[in-house]
Amino acid sequence: MSKRPLGALLAALALVFAVAACGSSGSDSSTGSGGGANSPLVGAGSTLVAPLMSKWQSDFASKSEITVTYGAIGSGGGIDQITSRTVDFGASDAPLTPEQFEEANAEGEVEQIPWALSGTVPAYNVQGAPEDLKLSGEVLAGIYLGKITSWDDPAIAKLNPGASLPGTKITPVYRSDGSGDTYAFTNYLSTVDPEFKSQVGTSTQVKFPTGVGAEKNDGVSAAIGQTDGAIGYVGLAYALQNELSMPLVENSAGNFPEPGVKSVEAAADAVDKIGPNNEISLADLPASADGAYPISTYTYVIVPLETEKAEELKKFITYAIGPAGQGYGPDLDFAPLPKQVVAADKKAIGKIGNG
Amino acid sequence: MEASALSHPVLRARRNLTDRLGDPLLRGLSGLAAAVALAAIAGIVYEVVHLAGPAISEFGLGFVTNNDWNPVSKRFGAAPFLYGTAVTSLIAIVLATPLSIAISIYLTELAPRRIRRPVATLVDMLAAIPTVILGLWGILVLGPFMRDTIEPALNSVLGFLPIFGGDPSAFGYLTAALILTIMATPIITSVTREVFETVPGDLKEASYALGATRWEMVRQVVLPYSRSGIVGATILGLGRAIGEAIAVAQVIGGASLINASLFHTGGTMAAQIASQFQNSAGLQKASLAYLGLILLIFAVVVNVIARVIVQRGKLRDIDVTPTEAEAL
Repeated sequence: MSKRPLGALLAALALVFAVAACGSSGSDSSTGSGGGANSPLVGAGSTLVAPLMSKWQSDFASKSEITVTYGAIGSGGGIDQITSRTVDFGASDAPLTPEQFEEANAEGEVEQIPWALSGTVPAYNVQGAPEDLKLSGEVLAGIYLGKITSWDDPAIAKLNPGASLPGTKITPVYRSDGSGDTYAFTNYLSTVDPEFKSQVGTSTQVKFPTGVGAEKNDGVSAAIGQTDGAIGYVGLAYALQNELSMPLVENSAGNFPEPGVKSVEAAADAVDKIGPNNEISLADLPASADGAYPISTYTYVIVPLETEKAEELKKFITYAIGPAGQGYGPDLDFAPLPKQVVAADKKAIGKIGNG
Repeated sequence: MEASALSHPVLRARRNLTDRLGDPLLRGLSGLAAAVALAAIAGIVYEVVHLAGPAISEFGLGFVTNNDWNPVSKRFGAAPFLYGTAVTSLIAIVLATPLSIAISIYLTELAPRRIRRPVATLVDMLAAIPTVILGLWGILVLGPFMRDTIEPALNSVLGFLPIFGGDPSAFGYLTAALILTIMATPIITSVTREVFETVPGDLKEASYALGATRWEMVRQVVLPYSRSGIVGATILGLGRAIGEAIAVAQVIGGASLINASLFHTGGTMAAQIASQFQNSAGLQKASLAYLGLILLIFAVVVNVIARVIVQRGKLRDIDVTPTEAEAL
């Protein structure tokens, strides 16, 4: 009992200091955002782009003396923060939906710019199944709709003639948290399979009718590893760095390209069509794209057109999409942006500050 | 009391400056700390209600019974998660309570005095395992064990019940419930142990003197005497189970559905908030906050019930003890 007042006193002191610290850091950041030369940039969003971002941060700071602070809080969080303008830029693996644009434009127009390119790959663990198992978009959609339930299903056997397939039950694994990989994967499946589109749809979080949800890439890969017969999807870089076994997925040319930077680059090269708001989907590839990886995806930066930090943002994004910024890509399993996208990006960057 | 003694002017004058400042300063600072705690609670409630606003006006009370959670069609309902929270925490409590009572009886009545403290400390330390570690253990060890051993056994014996039907799975309600059992056990154990220790020695000795065996003594003296404490401890454990998010999110398999089978994947309110909040926006974020509001109400109700029971038990014990002693 006699200890209590002392404890309370200490707690009170700690609180007073904490409040004071919050107060002073708050005022610091508000004075810091007053524009001027080389003021720091603050961004938040996509975890996919985070490894690339950390390279950009240090290199860009040494070249331009502008520091960039980035919080890898997830694409949805990035969209939320740029909508409320608590950051200077947001980053998202999924392009903004029309409603999200409307909300974000409420405080002045925003621009969405594709600035990195990667892929999402299926990974599987089936004892007795061949390495480099071949799958198609329709089969993947059937698995995630719960229509194809065992590994010796005729649809899978047809793609793997001569291979011996076990009768193991298929356990589809998906991301239970919001993820750019879920967006890329469902965007692809919705493009190839109308039933998937109407039943599940495309988003960073969807409602799968069957399967097991796991948290983050690590959770998905652990769930796959622990379950014979499991298939899931993870980021390309994660799958390559952890050497997961990946099935090959058929592209529109009827080929089964090895997932990697090269085949993702081939997919990006094959698509010239840049949609409104610079939205680019790589799910619907032309049949001429022989070596194109079918589940490739852009990730975007979202910036307000009217901002006190227009100069800094222009410099940073120009750097990121330029040869220096994109040069860090291949080591981290990102493909370089194709020319037509860089050109479109440059046009978009020109609009910043002229809102 | 001290203050009134010092109110005598001569005594007060003798005190030096720091001593005179000390008391008001202490009162001010500790009062401020109490105010901060109250303000934090008020702020949290306000913020959750404010965040949930769009979902409350969109779905109203129908949110509670709606069985759909679909970010694509923007229809959100709490039913799958209410079900998941209820099922997993009830199973956890049903398993953890007898286990905890047994541990406490062993530690207070049966164990050699030398090992009581170390074992009690180890049980308490179970509560100190970071939940994310427990969740990982759930994914890597407990889940596969459930799928390969426990669930097939349950299925072969009780498979005619829908809750034990269907294919065994490493991820699902049952795995999550067992993780929650492990989390609730140290809490229930530490409270029941302390309650058991307060059972007066004379009562126990009186029971032995009447020829009771050890088990009869425990059943007729320790357990009745501690009834309210046990109930209170159970409800504290229930509060823990209802609120746990991370470890459950890791092992329950994050499905927004109600599955009849306990082997299958589902979701709980806390796990759903933990796994989806960060990456959500708009109506989904509001719906998650609405889930949070329901969870907050749950937690408050559970805590109030626990307090009332424990408090009433304390009063009752004071009144009843002599009669019970007489009865023996």
